[in-house]
Amino acid sequence: MSAASHATGHAGGHAHHGNYLTPKGGFWTTVKDWATTVDHKKIGIMYLFAILFMFFLGGVMALAVRAELWEPVRQEGGQISGQMLYSMFNSEPATSIAEGNNNYNRVFTLHGAIMVFMVIVPSIPASLGNFLLPLMLGAKDVAFPRLNLLSWYIYLFGSFFAVISLVMGGVDTGWTFYTPYSTTTEGYWRVVLMVLGAFILGFSSILTGLNFIVTVHKLRAPGMGWFDMPLFVWAIYSSAIIQVLATPVIGITLLLLIMERVFRIGIFDPALGGDPVLYQHFFWFYSHPVVYVMILPGMGIISDVIAVQSHKRIFGYRAIAFASLGIAAVSFLVWGHHMFTSMSELAAMVFSALTFLVAIPTAVKVFNWIMTLYKGSIAFNTPMVYTLIFLVLFSIGGLTGLPLGTLATDVHLHDSYFVVAHFHYVMMGGTIMALMAGLHHWWPKFFGKMYNEPMAIVGALLVFVGFNITFFTQFFLGSQGMPRRYASYVDEFQFLHQVSTVGSFLLLVGFLVHLGVFIHSLVAGKTAPANPWGGLTLEWLADSPPDEHNFHHEPIVKHGPYDFDAVVPPHWDPADYPLPADVTKPHNVVKAH
Amino acid sequence: MIASLMSGMSGVLLGQGETDLLTRWFFRTPAATDAGRHTDALYIGLWWFCVFWFVFLMALMAYFVVRYRRRKGVPAPVSASHNTPLEIAWTIIPTILVGVIFFLGFDGYMNKMVAPGNAVEMRITGFKWSWKLEYPNGAEATDRTTTPVGFRDVPLFYMPAEVPIKFRMNSQDVMHAFWIPDFRIKMDLLPNRYTSLYFQAEAPDGANVLPTSAEDAAAKNLPFNESLAGVPYTDHWVFCAEYCGTEHSEMAAVIRVIPEDAFNKWVATAGIGNLEPVQIGEIVYKQNCQACHSVDGGANTGPTWKDLYGSQRQFVDGTSAVADENYIRESILYPSRQLVQGYGNNMTSFAGVLSDKQIDGVIAYMKSLSVNAPAEPAAGEGDGEGAGEAPAGTDAPAEGGGQ
Repeated sequence: MSAASHATGHAGGHAHHGNYLTPKGGFWTTVKDWATTVDHKKIGIMYLFAILFMFFLGGVMALAVRAELWEPVRQEGGQISGQMLYSMFNSEPATSIAEGNNNYNRVFTLHGAIMVFMVIVPSIPASLGNFLLPLMLGAKDVAFPRLNLLSWYIYLFGSFFAVISLVMGGVDTGWTFYTPYSTTTEGYWRVVLMVLGAFILGFSSILTGLNFIVTVHKLRAPGMGWFDMPLFVWAIYSSAIIQVLATPVIGITLLLLIMERVFRIGIFDPALGGDPVLYQHFFWFYSHPVVYVMILPGMGIISDVIAVQSHKRIFGYRAIAFASLGIAAVSFLVWGHHMFTSMSELAAMVFSALTFLVAIPTAVKVFNWIMTLYKGSIAFNTPMVYTLIFLVLFSIGGLTGLPLGTLATDVHLHDSYFVVAHFHYVMMGGTIMALMAGLHHWWPKFFGKMYNEPMAIVGALLVFVGFNITFFTQFFLGSQGMPRRYASYVDEFQFLHQVSTVGSFLLLVGFLVHLGVFIHSLVAGKTAPANPWGGLTLEWLADSPPDEHNFHHEPIVKHGPYDFDAVVPPHWDPADYPLPADVTKPHNVVKAH
Repeated sequence: MIASLMSGMSGVLLGQGETDLLTRWFFRTPAATDAGRHTDALYIGLWWFCVFWFVFLMALMAYFVVRYRRRKGVPAPVSASHNTPLEIAWTIIPTILVGVIFFLGFDGYMNKMVAPGNAVEMRITGFKWSWKLEYPNGAEATDRTTTPVGFRDVPLFYMPAEVPIKFRMNSQDVMHAFWIPDFRIKMDLLPNRYTSLYFQAEAPDGANVLPTSAEDAAAKNLPFNESLAGVPYTDHWVFCAEYCGTEHSEMAAVIRVIPEDAFNKWVATAGIGNLEPVQIGEIVYKQNCQACHSVDGGANTGPTWKDLYGSQRQFVDGTSAVADENYIRESILYPSRQLVQGYGNNMTSFAGVLSDKQIDGVIAYMKSLSVNAPAEPAAGEGDGEGAGEAPAGTDAPAEGGGQ
């Protein structure tokens, strides 16, 4: 990563002939163009909107969960109170608590299933990854563009099954589908359809991962060595490896689950001679590594945004890159920590020790990010605000992982609200906040429009405050004894539950502000320059929004991705971008147009 | 040991009062076992550890963000983009720290989970959606206590204080988990193998005393039990922590710790040996059936028991039958053979779970709830071979009824 001379982009001269968003003709022509496109950018944008829609759907479920928990369920003198979901959809009061509880159980299951399988797992790789990976590598497209389109349709197909199951009444198994509950509970076809949906979504994940791995290996621009790749690419690459290696395991497991349910083959259900703990091993052997499929791309975004927005060489580039790979490797060895209360003492000891290993590369990354800020030139804009929010929330999420990896404390905290709080801090405070950082950072590149910075910052702060009110309380609920997946609770937990519910609605307000900002930007946003933040990676060399083929000429890489102290960013005027005085010979990239 | 040192440290740092404050925040009350208090100390120690690192990192971050905020026209100075000694240090130091934390956790876990050889063994059975406990003398816990969880009373388990107890546990249907938050322990219950849970509860502090007389009981809104009059007690919640379906959140119990001698006296008289069949039936009902069957005509997962006995039942396959003793016995042992119209196949078999004596009790109890029972001979006009030997209206057990 030596600060070698300069990169060459497209050497200007071209007349504008539209970008990838320019309609090809009338309405139906445009629809057909998008539906059959093999352009990674269009596929990425379609994923982005699908994922944001699913995030909205999962969010509605989350608010329903929080609303139901506003008060505990009570029956006094035959009168049932506290079942908000039930009373919302029925005028008659409930005669038994069963119906209201069943509603709650379906809603939290759908929240989990939608958020995990349809939002967080595909979120960053499928949307931002698809759009940015070829651009960052200086390529025209991913290695297998048609396979990419297939992945998109498989994603839609899998989501379709899940939605059918939802329309038929939903499932109450929890997103983990633990046996023998999931093989015996009511709603025969609904469970089969939901599991089938998750099974199909897995193929989308595998094919996308495969595509990305090959793209990274084969399509790097001339001059781009492995250690000249942006860290976002390293992170996507690491998580693609996990996707390809781990997803087949969940595929087989879900298939076995369907066969158990339909043909009663007797592998997981003890009534048929099976073993339910075997299911848990299979399930978590995928689902733990996939936690890192969820978080690694988020870490990649943070690495890139933090460097660009503080015009600073990332601290410890190689350490971050290797930490990504290290996390990917260790992630396969820690699945047992989801099962500390159903395994032997010896197994628990081994998995506890291995679990602590993950803490180390994760801590190293946080140290590196913070050290990157040192002596930077730090912009205060939405991507940076979300990056700081990520650092705060992810640190809390990471540190609260310690009492969960610690056996003595985990035996108390396991399956309690503490766990709920912990994984929301990591998944939502980590992945979703990173997604928000990345979305704002690359929004001008995606759509060629700027967004309203002050309003977006207001939205970010509302999200930050709402998030903490919602989830910080849940650490206390958990350690005080509140189990997860409860439709009701004992009175002493009501105050904290109500605080948490208030926070969740503040969170809603924050996201609605963002929705307004996004719509405003698309409709009336100012035209974005090609390189609004002064990034050095290749996507900033392309137009905003990029040309159909990304670059006018194949770019040649002559400097590292974060050589801010030696290279004037593409499309920037050296007069506006003073380099440090001790750089004797400032480099400039060839300016666009 | 190091954990108590850590919590002692926070005591020094803050004064004992504030440590108690943290305990209240995190746990409401201090743990009711020695091993649990070790966990509390470890938790609070970890909390300080996390607070230290969080504050350190965030303060550094905030300082850099303010100090090095962007100034127009001022470039970021050139600074090192890596520093090998620093990077080695911040890899090795966390490794050592998490190693120590791992060891403390493992040590506390072994103390907490592995029962000593002299532990008294009791049996816990979990099922949708309640718990059953069998004492070493074979007596089953039959007491109930009303709670604000959901709408029904939950099982009450008397436990001797300062005696090591080991629960041997399994599930009758799906997975459950037995969590006693006050003891800081939890273990899953599996349908196909035993798991175990160990604790040694501390003695009640005497703040709560069981009623000494019927009047006292009425004043305290507690049931009166003569053999436990005036005994000090402490109650602890039990929650199911592994999701198990509709009434997962109502699957609670209360552990009532009483002094060992009072427990021994009480447990000798416990059990169902000398009760009337109707009383046995009511106990069995509350332990096993009330999650799904009401006795007041209310709707639920299964049919109500009010006026069920002796009534005409319509089945989903179009046939019908009168609910006599044989029908009830069959429904308990093989619930999926005949499904009443309007109800799903939700009930698990109680074959091998309920004894003949308990099933007879259930039948007697159902008779007591039905207007159909005393008026006409329930199994009268010969649609069961045992009909002749078990005329309705008597409490005589219908022996051989289900063969």
